[in-house]
Amino acid sequence: MTVFLCENSIAGIFSGVYDAWASRAGHDNVRLALAENYNLELFAEYVTVMPDPEKAEKVIGTLKKRMHWEDFLSVYRAVLSADPEKADSIYRVIVLALHTSRRMIDHLEQPDVYHVFSMARKVGNEAARYLEFVRFRELENKALFSEIHPENQVLPLIGDHFADRFPLEHFLIYDSRHHLALFHAAKHAWVLMDMPEDMDPQRLRFSREEQEMSRYWQAFFDQIAIEERTNPRLQQQFLPLKFRAYMTEKFHKNNEN
Amino acid sequence: MVIQEEMGILDKLTILSDAAKYDVACTSSGVDRQGDGTGIGNCVASGICHSFSADGRCITLLKILLTNECVFDCKYCINRASNDVPRATFTPEEICHLTIEFYRRNYIEGLFLSSGVLRNPNDTMELLYQTLYLLRTKYHFQGYIHVKSIPGAAAELVEKTGYLADRMSVNLELPTAESLRKLAPHKTRRAILAPMRQIQTQMEENKNELTVYKKAPRFVPAGQSTQMIIGATPESDLQIISVAESLYQKFNLKRVFYSAFVSVNEDADLPMLPGGPPLLREHRLYQADWLMRFYKFRADELLSDQRPNFNVFLDPKCDWALGHLERFPVEVANADYDTLLRVPGIGVKSARRIVNARRFGSLSFEGLKKMGVVLKRAVYFITCEGKLMYPVKLDEDYILRNLLSDRERKDYEVNTYRQLSLFDPWMPEVKP
Repeated sequence: MTVFLCENSIAGIFSGVYDAWASRAGHDNVRLALAENYNLELFAEYVTVMPDPEKAEKVIGTLKKRMHWEDFLSVYRAVLSADPEKADSIYRVIVLALHTSRRMIDHLEQPDVYHVFSMARKVGNEAARYLEFVRFRELENKALFSEIHPENQVLPLIGDHFADRFPLEHFLIYDSRHHLALFHAAKHAWVLMDMPEDMDPQRLRFSREEQEMSRYWQAFFDQIAIEERTNPRLQQQFLPLKFRAYMTEKFHKNNEN
Repeated sequence: MVIQEEMGILDKLTILSDAAKYDVACTSSGVDRQGDGTGIGNCVASGICHSFSADGRCITLLKILLTNECVFDCKYCINRASNDVPRATFTPEEICHLTIEFYRRNYIEGLFLSSGVLRNPNDTMELLYQTLYLLRTKYHFQGYIHVKSIPGAAAELVEKTGYLADRMSVNLELPTAESLRKLAPHKTRRAILAPMRQIQTQMEENKNELTVYKKAPRFVPAGQSTQMIIGATPESDLQIISVAESLYQKFNLKRVFYSAFVSVNEDADLPMLPGGPPLLREHRLYQADWLMRFYKFRADELLSDQRPNFNVFLDPKCDWALGHLERFPVEVANADYDTLLRVPGIGVKSARRIVNARRFGSLSFEGLKKMGVVLKRAVYFITCEGKLMYPVKLDEDYILRNLLSDRERKDYEVNTYRQLSLFDPWMPEVKP
């Protein structure tokens, strides 16, 4: 058994898929694992995969051509998942997909396919929440800044949406859990950047209007609730506490007071 | 109270969002529009909620009134002419600025602009139009706009506003013309239905135009909606959903919203609601509305003259299934799509998945669960390869008790609507 240890990134995992496939050891004799959390096993050989954007591009190109679009999207989302066991399931699904003409949804009884789909669903759901709950603040230079702390690496999934929405804005969304940032310059395509671990958003300087606007928003947020219908449980069901720390709204423990 | 000095934006926003909050619709759904790269904004057909207020309702749009000055005196409305409340009016420019700045920060999906009637319906509608015109042309805003049509405004004004908005709505306010006469003396059923009909007709014409000229401007692309106040007047649930059904069929509405009556004014014609707004009733109406729009139910299947109101303990779909046990259980391997849709615990998505998946092999209960079927409810109504999942009785009372949660069951047993008879063998002991 040869275990390919990949870096936990898009390039890392797809390079792992490339190397494992190219090793010609036979699909049953290789396994993919994330380098960051593997446990050494007896009787296994370890290969550390160097993340290579070129190899990753090749794999992505093949998958886009040969897989159904939605299946590819599921694999792509699973790559962004926080699940430590994701790498090998992804590899198995790719092997299966390239050997069958049927949609992956028809193979849900296979544990790896189910695993990939459930990871994809979680990642997709989280990304959808961030389309809602990302909050920008205006910096002194009029650029927009946002900090998020997602479980999965959702940035690549929300980039198109915000770039299409704000074509004339410079903005940056900072993922403080994975130290990644989505950067968009006006009239350009968005890019993903690695951020230094000691990045500190507290040091940023925000514009004067920013304070005013956030006060307006907080006032609106309070006014729009109907007191007779107060229902914090329902509110929390839709807007879990973990998102709130990074939002502009002022949440009250008890809104009727 | 008349406030003379110049009011700040914060004060105006506070007054005019407070005055707008009783309007229910806050969706941004129904239209897909990519940004054209020259301005700001886009639209996503599924809609995006941006926040949830303390009452658990979603905040999608900047929901404000242009003004809460009003010459009408609708008895249920906080802004009625005879109420002594602080009044304020935004300028179109102020609304645009707020919308854009909120939108840039991703607080909102767009603007929901409504208004009290300032001087007369035409003047008010003209101001609404000007605001939208500025927002679309000067600020190049391509996000979502929902605007209210003011009852009694001229048709030309409604038309040119409709070309700038994504959704328009005219509030039906109350389910029957008689209730409207009683509680909203300045509004008539005719003044409400006329613009509704106009918007419907122009949407249809616009659709024909678009097939010929792809670039023709779009008229109210996300359709129109309306809302009714629930619980202020004595209509039954059956009357309400029948009205909604005919609005969907005859006026081609996208949505009908139901708003549990919140008592904000003291008035002899309004009911006292010591238990707060009728939220559960509102919830049941939304469930029924959903069944009519996506599950092909008719209003007269869900309720009847003998039973004109929904069961508070059960959702309308389970309630319907319990009343029609002769149709169950259904075999998932060969029941058609419409039949599957009527099984409690099976939704639009899972019904479609079942129909697709069974072409490739047999289905199991485990597999159904993975497809998103809620077995907790469905288990009483389906068979897989001819077998029920557990040996359950196809008996109304038995299923009902099992469908209710523990807490609900206690309520149900206290308020049970079945008359206990002295001679029932299982009659419980009466506790002192």
